[in-house]
Amino acid sequence: MKTGQELRAGHVINIDGSPWLIQKVEISRSGRNTAVVKTKLKNLLNGYLTETPYKADDKFEDIVLDRKEVTYSYYADPMYVFVDNEYNQYELTVDELGDMGPYIEDGMEDVCEAVFFDGKVISITPPNSITREVVYTEPSVRGDTSGKVMKPARLTNGHELQVSAFVEIGDKIIIDTRTGEYKSRAKD
Amino acid sequence: MSKIKSWDIFCRVIDNYGDIGVCWRLARQLANEYPFHIRLWVDDLTALRHIWPETKVTNQQTLEGIDVCLWYEQFPEDIQPANVVIEAFACHLPEVYLKAMKKKPPQWFNLEYLSAEDWVEGCHGLVSMDTQTGLKKTYFFPGFTVKTGGLLREQTLLSARNAFLADAPTKAAFLSRLGISLTGESNLLVSLFSYENTAIGSLLDSWIQSSEPIMVLVPASKLLPDINRHLQTQLNINDEYSCGALRIRIIPFLTQTQYDQLLWACDINFVRGEDSFVRAQWAAKPFIWHIYPQDDGIHLEKLGAFLNHYLSGLSLEEQTAIANLWHNWNQGKNCGEAWNECLKNRQNWDKHTKEWCYQLNSLGDLASNMVQFCQKTL
Repeated sequence: MKTGQELRAGHVINIDGSPWLIQKVEISRSGRNTAVVKTKLKNLLNGYLTETPYKADDKFEDIVLDRKEVTYSYYADPMYVFVDNEYNQYELTVDELGDMGPYIEDGMEDVCEAVFFDGKVISITPPNSITREVVYTEPSVRGDTSGKVMKPARLTNGHELQVSAFVEIGDKIIIDTRTGEYKSRAKD
Repeated sequence: MSKIKSWDIFCRVIDNYGDIGVCWRLARQLANEYPFHIRLWVDDLTALRHIWPETKVTNQQTLEGIDVCLWYEQFPEDIQPANVVIEAFACHLPEVYLKAMKKKPPQWFNLEYLSAEDWVEGCHGLVSMDTQTGLKKTYFFPGFTVKTGGLLREQTLLSARNAFLADAPTKAAFLSRLGISLTGESNLLVSLFSYENTAIGSLLDSWIQSSEPIMVLVPASKLLPDINRHLQTQLNINDEYSCGALRIRIIPFLTQTQYDQLLWACDINFVRGEDSFVRAQWAAKPFIWHIYPQDDGIHLEKLGAFLNHYLSGLSLEEQTAIANLWHNWNQGKNCGEAWNECLKNRQNWDKHTKEWCYQLNSLGDLASNMVQFCQKTL
């Protein structure tokens, strides 16, 4: 059990049977040595976001979620199938993929993290950085090597993002999956 | 409004009379100004009796049209929750009552402590999900800005105040009942209500040496031992002491209505905590606030946050004088010089406080703002 004033970003708490991820905590001293704890929460089952206040002495059941390393296996419409190292399969819809969606492609070998609640996978998180190939982008303008000018590019799975102007078709790029942004061109 | 029929207000008395003072005032306003059934649950009826002498220490009674119920550990199992539930000042509702709320969820408020700090605006009106029941609870913050819930003020308060001030015989009769006659004297009249405070010695000395006669009225409170210690007296209720320009009279602890009249009648008021602090602002007379002390000195930040709002519009010199007096009073430091500095601009301080009162009035009042909130949600 945790009290309100013990809550920190990253904790997962049980509110009325659902797991909620604490994304942010602000503690403000109120009257008579009490405090108001303002939290930003995300429902891990449906992705709902909310800002919620609590008292410092409110009690919370904290949840330790099971986590496993998984890799993408195949697409069986409408489900995306992942496997763990014991070949257990986990199926998710495109909505359930969440942040993973833009990075799914056939043959990907990235090791992802599956999070479980009550025996069911509730999210898949990619590694912080992944490498993908650019299949289309406008040719770069000669001489522009600053990296500050950006242009759109399309990946193998059709996902589009902004990349540095010097990136060419066929280049492999590194993407920060936490922000969805281009980081750099991958070295061969 | 038809869905709002009943209110339950829960009050745990921690110390002093602020908790019960606010809750009783809120309950009375709702009962007097709206067609609601009001039930007030209090765990310490002796505290209520102190501010409302008609109170009996009994499980259930009706006072001023309000059902006043003793909140004891063995809470009734067959309780029917009201449409609107207020848990005041971070008290926790009884388990039995929470279970009953699940069957028909009411509009549930957590009425928070008053603060002028910026973070209050960011929390006011936010909905909390109770972890045990999944019920939604709205955090309602009193405050001094449009983004908060406003302050407690009865609809007729300001007109009652104006009528009192315009009626010299009524004012004189009120003071006479306290044993004070000001006929022919141009006393500066000061009310003095605070927690224990070692700074009182410096004020008393300053008042004794004042070039202007000062009459100080002290409702019996925790300050009395400090006064007696400094003056080397044993003053008690209805006792009076004179030295130099100072006349000090210890008066009985007053009812809420009488205390308002005291604030209206005086020229300058020392107040404390939350309830008398708010009443002093509605009295629209210069005031000095003794804020409830907290650990780590955090209360001084709250004091500063209020002063930032309240002093806005005054000259830098006037702001500095008032801020110095307030901070010294709250830190047990010498207040004599700061008091004299403030008196130099008393007229403008008085005018400014009237403007402050006018500004607060434009926010609506806490009870009405709560009712309007319920009308939107129920």
